[in-house]
Amino acid sequence: METSRRDVLKIAAALLVEQWAAARGLAQQSTASQAAQRKVVVVACGGMRREDTFAREGLRNIPTMSGEMFGRALFFASMHNNGATSHFNTLSSILTGTWQRLDDWGLNSPTEPTFFELLRKQTRMARNQAWFISSNKAMTNRIGSSTVRAYGPEYGANVVFPKQLLINAVVHAAAEGRAVHSADRSSVQPEIEAMLNQDNFDGLGWSVGEVAALDPITLGAIQKAIDELVRTSAPVTGDEFTYLVSAEVMRRFAPAFLTITFSDMEVAHFGSYSLHLGGIRTVDRLVGELWALVESLPAYRGKTTLLVLPEFGRDMDGSTTNGFFNHRQNSESTRSTWMLCLGDGIRQPQVIADPVEQIQICPTLAHLFGIGGPAQAARPLPGFLS
Amino acid sequence: MKRFGAYADLAAAAQAPHPPEPSHSLVERLPVTMRPGLNQQLQGWESLFPYERRRLLGFLRGIESYSPAEWQSLTASLVQLEQRMGVAGWNFSEQQDTMENASHLARSEHYVEWREKVQSVFQAVEAAAEKASPQSPRLPRLVLTVLPQNLPVEPPEKWKPWDARGCAYRVAGNAAGLDARIVQGQPGMPGLAAHAPAGGADLWLIDAGDELPRLDAAAAEQLHYKRLLPFRDRFLEEVNKMPKDLAVSDKTLEGVRHQNWERWSPDELKAQPRLRNFLVDLFLSGNGALIYPSAFVEWASSEALRRARPRALVARLGMRAKPKLFTGIAIFENQQKINTLPEVEDPQGSAIDALELARYIWLAAQRYPEKEQTIGLCIAEHHNAVYLIAPKELAPRWPADKPVPPEEIAGWLAQAMAG
Repeated sequence: METSRRDVLKIAAALLVEQWAAARGLAQQSTASQAAQRKVVVVACGGMRREDTFAREGLRNIPTMSGEMFGRALFFASMHNNGATSHFNTLSSILTGTWQRLDDWGLNSPTEPTFFELLRKQTRMARNQAWFISSNKAMTNRIGSSTVRAYGPEYGANVVFPKQLLINAVVHAAAEGRAVHSADRSSVQPEIEAMLNQDNFDGLGWSVGEVAALDPITLGAIQKAIDELVRTSAPVTGDEFTYLVSAEVMRRFAPAFLTITFSDMEVAHFGSYSLHLGGIRTVDRLVGELWALVESLPAYRGKTTLLVLPEFGRDMDGSTTNGFFNHRQNSESTRSTWMLCLGDGIRQPQVIADPVEQIQICPTLAHLFGIGGPAQAARPLPGFLS
Repeated sequence: MKRFGAYADLAAAAQAPHPPEPSHSLVERLPVTMRPGLNQQLQGWESLFPYERRRLLGFLRGIESYSPAEWQSLTASLVQLEQRMGVAGWNFSEQQDTMENASHLARSEHYVEWREKVQSVFQAVEAAAEKASPQSPRLPRLVLTVLPQNLPVEPPEKWKPWDARGCAYRVAGNAAGLDARIVQGQPGMPGLAAHAPAGGADLWLIDAGDELPRLDAAAAEQLHYKRLLPFRDRFLEEVNKMPKDLAVSDKTLEGVRHQNWERWSPDELKAQPRLRNFLVDLFLSGNGALIYPSAFVEWASSEALRRARPRALVARLGMRAKPKLFTGIAIFENQQKINTLPEVEDPQGSAIDALELARYIWLAAQRYPEKEQTIGLCIAEHHNAVYLIAPKELAPRWPADKPVPPEEIAGWLAQAMAG
């Protein structure tokens, strides 16, 4: 990605987080309280097949993860998704430790407490210590907390969909019949301004608390950043922006538990194999940058565990469900994935070949934080320190 | 076992304007979750291709062949499973396949078991129907894929293997034009239409651009992505209005399905309601058919093979544009409307896509019993080469080290297709 464009995205990311904080009067955590905490970052990517990643022919798509990171990793070679292989259900299952079977479009909240709720309720953790930042359009803010009476939004996560603001601005302009082009920018500008001036920033995806209007200074800065973005001619990837917002959240709030989802590879649904592989390569690069960031931030260095996993694979070549396009086949290609773990919480670098399930992740997180896990917990995964 | 009554002569019944009288009541005998697809086919009888009609009628004949006791024994475990799944409490349409139906089923903890049981009933009924069916002659079939000159694909020797029988040959001279020669024929050699009875949907030409020769509408089902632009734009607009709510989405999709699409169709589709409906169903089923030309070609080919089982299918893949600003994050949107900067072609990416999708078309043809007598020929124009998969008894004896003239390839193919 060209430097100037990334700089613009960085500014936009910083401003979005700034806006969130300003609306709630939140400040960065003190260094003392951070020091005591173990941190966990979970990165869930969309559907990626083993053959395009951790297989001989796929390694070229993931040079970062299969290179130096792998040598230091606890690697689960056979991580299974035995639930509904859709995005909302899979992420709900990972976060609750039970196979969730909800509306595919996220109209219902999980039916068991999410790890955000377990963690915050048991440790009385502040809201700004638990975040869910997603690229995925299939998500909704209901992923942040469950319908369980004793938990719910009061203990939920901050849920953010950074790219939605950009999409909304552009799509709204298009819906009004105005095209985004440097030659007719004056016709687009009012649409973007109108969106930024709305009182309810649905596009930001903030799920918690009151949604306030942007203050004029922040508004102006975001407007300028988007203005610059519109001027560029290269594609903007959602995952790039999601990463930058995540990085900003880490710098500013140093959350103890952060889940990030990337989804550029989901372009596979539209049948472009080359763009799908491009999405995998982007994620590989961003995971590398994320780990470098963890090692560079005092709040994270030496006390952070990173878990990276695909939500599922994709369907087999030649399947009636059209192969890599989709992820709904009941096959090993779709259900069997992997997980790469790095950092403070792992006992030692090793490869665990025995089959494990994604619902074991939530009890493992509980184990790492030393709190009680889900009521119907599966066994925690092996290879982690308590 | 009963005699077949209205379904005794499947070929004649398939040509009738309506399905035979007892069809709906036969569907009623099925477990609830098996009814929507069959009811939808009966209601859309006029939109079915000849093969689909024969298969549907054959299936109904299979149901009719069971005695009540045999039928109860065959379906009891699926009916019990539906009770355990709580199907009666769902808003489940028995009249057509809906997104809500699919969502209920896919979310059920019994989904995998349900699929197995449905498959088991389906296979038993089809087997019962086939027992009494005359064997149709095993005529050779063709799946011809074309990777155009402007796509820099890897040479065939480096491709992922499509089939253990596959062989690469160099073409003497220019491979561009070989597809037209095969489709239209050459002096003393008939074109593909000679092997496809008119109106039988036995020959399909599916094109990412507008390059394949155009034949008489009665001779072939023809879809040219480039010529479908107004249709696609309008369709994308309608689909993007769809709310994120399953129940509402089904109504919206139903509305889209029943719109008058004739006015948005290119001339060659205006008088072809069946092919137009195929296109509507194709676009509604996603898989990138509205977004990328090669994805359209692949998915249309796959659906044509499934629904029409043609003797010959010609699929020409093509170039896509690079994603523009913002379309990388909202790719389902119409990128021409969102950003009026000129489109920039992506030859490298398009080549990777086209090669993978050409292989997918071949793999789609491998799902059906006709695979045994199907010839696969992929023309790689960029390398003046072909990749050939031929049944042993039809395989040509071309030396691997000597280029083959295009007329020899076309001549061999015409002879092979003549059976």
